[in-house]
Amino acid sequence: MKVSLSWLRRYIELDKSPDEIEEALNLSGLEVEGAKTLGLPQLENVVVGEVVSREQHPNADRLSVCEVTTGSEDNHNIVCGAQNFQPGDRVPVALPGAVLPGNFKIKKSKLRGVKSEGMMCSARELNLGEDHSGLLVLADKPEIGTPINEVFPEGETVFDLAVTPNRPDALSIIGIARELAALFSLKIKKPELKDASAAGSGASPFLDSVEVEDPGFCPLYTAFSIQGVKMGPSPEWLRKDLEAIGLRPINNVVDITNWVLMETGQPLHAFDASKLRGRCIKVRMATENEKITTLDEKERILSADMGVIADAERPLVVAGVMGSVDAEVDENTTDIVLESAWFKPESVRLTSRRLGLSSDSSYRFERHVDPDGVVYAARRAIDLILEIAGGTLVGEPSVSGEPPAGTDPISCEPAFFNKTLGFDVKSADIRQILESLGLSIEENGSQWTVNVPTFRPDIDRPIDLVEEFLRIHGTHNIPASPVQVSGLHAQDDAIAIFGGRAGKYLSANGFNECNIYSTRPGEEVETLFGAKYAEALKLANPLASDQTHLRPSLIPGLLEALHLNQAHGNDPLRLFEKGRVHHVLDGEVVEMISIGFILLQEPLQRHWQDTAPNDFFSAKKVSIEIARLAGTDPDTLVFEALESTLWQPGHSASAGSVKDGCLVECGLLDHKRIADLDIKGTILAGTCCFTAETLRKVASQPGFQPISDFPHANRDLALVMDAKIPAGQVLAEIRKAANEACPDEFDAQEISIFDVYQGEGLPENHKSIAFAISFRSMERTLKEKEVNQAFETITRAMTENTPYDLRS
Amino acid sequence: MEEELHALVKQAESGQNAVSTRAELADFKATFVGPNGSLTTVSKGIGKLPNDQKPVFGKKINEVKQRLEGIFSSIQDKIEAVEFEARMGPAVDPSLPVAESQPGTEHPLTQAREQIIGIFRQIGFTVVEGPELETEFFCFDALNTPASHPARDMQDTYYLPGDFRLHGEQKRDDESFILRPHTSAVQIRTMAKRKPPVRILSPGRCFRRDTVDATHSANFHQVEGLYVDREVNIRDLKAVLDHFVQELFGSDTRTRFRPSFFPFTEPSFEMDVQSTNLGKLSGRWIEILGCGMVDPNVFSHVGYDAEEVSGYAFGMGVERIAMILHGIDDIRHFYQNDLRFLQQFKSV
Repeated sequence: MKVSLSWLRRYIELDKSPDEIEEALNLSGLEVEGAKTLGLPQLENVVVGEVVSREQHPNADRLSVCEVTTGSEDNHNIVCGAQNFQPGDRVPVALPGAVLPGNFKIKKSKLRGVKSEGMMCSARELNLGEDHSGLLVLADKPEIGTPINEVFPEGETVFDLAVTPNRPDALSIIGIARELAALFSLKIKKPELKDASAAGSGASPFLDSVEVEDPGFCPLYTAFSIQGVKMGPSPEWLRKDLEAIGLRPINNVVDITNWVLMETGQPLHAFDASKLRGRCIKVRMATENEKITTLDEKERILSADMGVIADAERPLVVAGVMGSVDAEVDENTTDIVLESAWFKPESVRLTSRRLGLSSDSSYRFERHVDPDGVVYAARRAIDLILEIAGGTLVGEPSVSGEPPAGTDPISCEPAFFNKTLGFDVKSADIRQILESLGLSIEENGSQWTVNVPTFRPDIDRPIDLVEEFLRIHGTHNIPASPVQVSGLHAQDDAIAIFGGRAGKYLSANGFNECNIYSTRPGEEVETLFGAKYAEALKLANPLASDQTHLRPSLIPGLLEALHLNQAHGNDPLRLFEKGRVHHVLDGEVVEMISIGFILLQEPLQRHWQDTAPNDFFSAKKVSIEIARLAGTDPDTLVFEALESTLWQPGHSASAGSVKDGCLVECGLLDHKRIADLDIKGTILAGTCCFTAETLRKVASQPGFQPISDFPHANRDLALVMDAKIPAGQVLAEIRKAANEACPDEFDAQEISIFDVYQGEGLPENHKSIAFAISFRSMERTLKEKEVNQAFETITRAMTENTPYDLRS
Repeated sequence: MEEELHALVKQAESGQNAVSTRAELADFKATFVGPNGSLTTVSKGIGKLPNDQKPVFGKKINEVKQRLEGIFSSIQDKIEAVEFEARMGPAVDPSLPVAESQPGTEHPLTQAREQIIGIFRQIGFTVVEGPELETEFFCFDALNTPASHPARDMQDTYYLPGDFRLHGEQKRDDESFILRPHTSAVQIRTMAKRKPPVRILSPGRCFRRDTVDATHSANFHQVEGLYVDREVNIRDLKAVLDHFVQELFGSDTRTRFRPSFFPFTEPSFEMDVQSTNLGKLSGRWIEILGCGMVDPNVFSHVGYDAEEVSGYAFGMGVERIAMILHGIDDIRHFYQNDLRFLQQFKSV
């Protein structure tokens, strides 16, 4: 919403500077997005001077040295480059200390060796126009020494306001004047209507009827007939007002409707009466696929839930949004039907969005125009039309319906203000502020009944009154105070705790955290995760073609980050991201909290010292540490070979599942895919995904287990087996066998794998795994005999009727 | 015999320096204490001595034996030290860089988030989390943003198709699932579960259907706060936010509240700060967050009695805070993850 200072001054005597006005508006809730001053700003030390003499500069052909009087005791010596003046001319003189537009500071100086005590100015230097060809010679010779602001009327300042959707009242110049009047304690003068606009005599010669099909859509419709107008350009003041706020003048009638729209916030529409077919106006819903060519010369196809203003044959206006070319007033128009109405905000909004067509009218209708302003605005426009374009109002206005009621009076107590604000304010101050905004208060003991004007549909509860009071009272009056805190029983969410710990663990281990968009291209999702995922994870309204799907994994994004870094000449070794991913389970999408990481097998850049290359187990190590931080015991994770497009077969594994609420995948990424992505190096990766329920599972406090004071006895067991058998399976079986083999007095729970061998000395496709079993008792030192006995039992259990042989 | 013993010790002392390997040490030991060693031979002579001299001589032999053991053990130490040095190689050049010299880093957005949360945690706020895939009810209806509100425009919010099914979440009527445009939905979910008093922060990623440029990002992060209790007022809100910005930007930071509009708070404010510690932005009013008193309509959706309790809420963009704190001029840096950017925010 643009508003000019001079227009505002038609209603209030505003003597504040543009800066003060801007600040006041900003701090009262009408945000000034921009303020632009055209014309002469307020200038200090710029006065009318007269050139006393003009001599050639001794050292410069193009400069002259002038003696200039500004009425002070001493004349000023000024060096000047302009040519269009002579002694006796009066010109604007900027004396030392002046600051010209563009923060140009005038100081005493020397130009080519000659002192200069100021500057004579061109029009452009004073922001008075574009002319910079020479000095601004003041032809009507104002008094010498007169401040330049007294010679030229003040410039125009235009504020561009960002009006929040709750403030339809501020979408008019009068509305903003009302706001400023409240802020600066001024009186507002609303234009008086003339009797001539109330009703004409006789009947309208060109409008017989107004029909409103659905009063729910249009509760109030008014139409006024004006006969015998003379179309033409608008007067200067009207054109200037419109141009200042960025509107293009068209002709007097259209300009008046636009001007009154801006003045009052009520949209108006003028029809050329001769173009109305059937001498009637029908406010109806459009028929499906009905066509209309709007004033922007685009054909629009309407649907049955959009309102139109039509004559007997065709739609003439998309109701509340824009008129058509068919009934537009033009230079030949003599008779006018002027419409002023109130349309249901939601309907106008819907139509405007659906057509992708927003106008000054729709913007206001969809935010709720003042129901009591409908007729006022029409009459205000008629007053101006009759004055400017001539003509007479004929007939009674055609009125259909009633203005919708405003909000009900609000009951509240002044004490409610103090309670909500947290500091004491006088009820007289509250009353004064609310009244300045157009509200009225009936006092009944400690109870107030506050009547709200119809232009403030946003105020309907006591809390809304507190807001109004505080806006005008000033938020700077909220006293500063220390924070008062009472303790509450609450802990951070487990998701946040996990994220914090995992981030610290990974960054401490050399990983760099990334943030990557949560949406991915559909093609990628389909390739890596299959058609089911691609179908389930697509957005309804993506904006960019490579951001169409929810991501099921953090890895592709990390690869993108890696690629970008390599292209930039960086050599990141370890990257990670914390984020949400979405999986698909039984046709439903499951949101999971995920950590993804990638690490290079070896750095690309040379280094003086070799380090051990990373492998599957490096990725597994990181993955299980993350699982541990998530509260999952790594011993419960069963890692199995992974079959997936993303991962390299034989060098990758997964544990858990989406269904279990914990899914871990790690290992080598498919080398062909990495190469296709133009990524250098061999890339290992891991992802850990957990549902919120998994992370929020409350971990029990670890209970203390007594530790043995007695020595342990070790035995080694080496088994030969098919190379395909996973070590984890064998280990689990040995644990079970050991548990069964040991009597109550001791156990053998510490079992570790210390060697895996494949090759010479073993059958083909076989391997040997060697386990160290540690026996220990809580009660005593173990005897050799009982340990041997238990060990033999374990050995037998593992080698009899099993796929394992004892390695000889 | 004593002379023999004396000579033997001398021989061991003078010979020890020549021993430099474990094999030589074994031989060296054998010459004294082996089966044919000189000390063994001398010891055998004890039997020929008169009985009264035997103990004296025995004691002497023992003394010599200990002397020899001491010599052997110092040779052993010397050999081990030499072997260890050989194994460790020459002295290191401690000024050489380590192989993996890239330090790990947490993303500047993570750091800013933690900084924000840390300040509020001091004054009794705890963190709640919620899903990024949300429903229209939790993001809009429950937050007093009716279907006709411009904020619900398909233009600004990412929607999921009508047949989208989300695990653990039932749709209300014909509402849609959306990518959350703010984290306020988490506050609603929390209030629906907990009775007041509630004092929470909801940080997290949000989405806006927006074309990306230097100041706009389609993914962004917020930290929102909420406090609901008996008699919470506007002055409390200002006190908490003043405390926050003074912790974040320095104790000389000034604040101002500009009245504004959000559907879920009434009254609503934008808060500006002015500080001397902000580089190029020093001394200017900078918009930093939105806040206000929780609208009574919001309480009605979560079963709180607006007559009994009141509350305040605030929300800020983590990107914006990080950009102000570090003087970052383009929001896209956060999502490009160039190592040269990330490494500027090394944890110290």
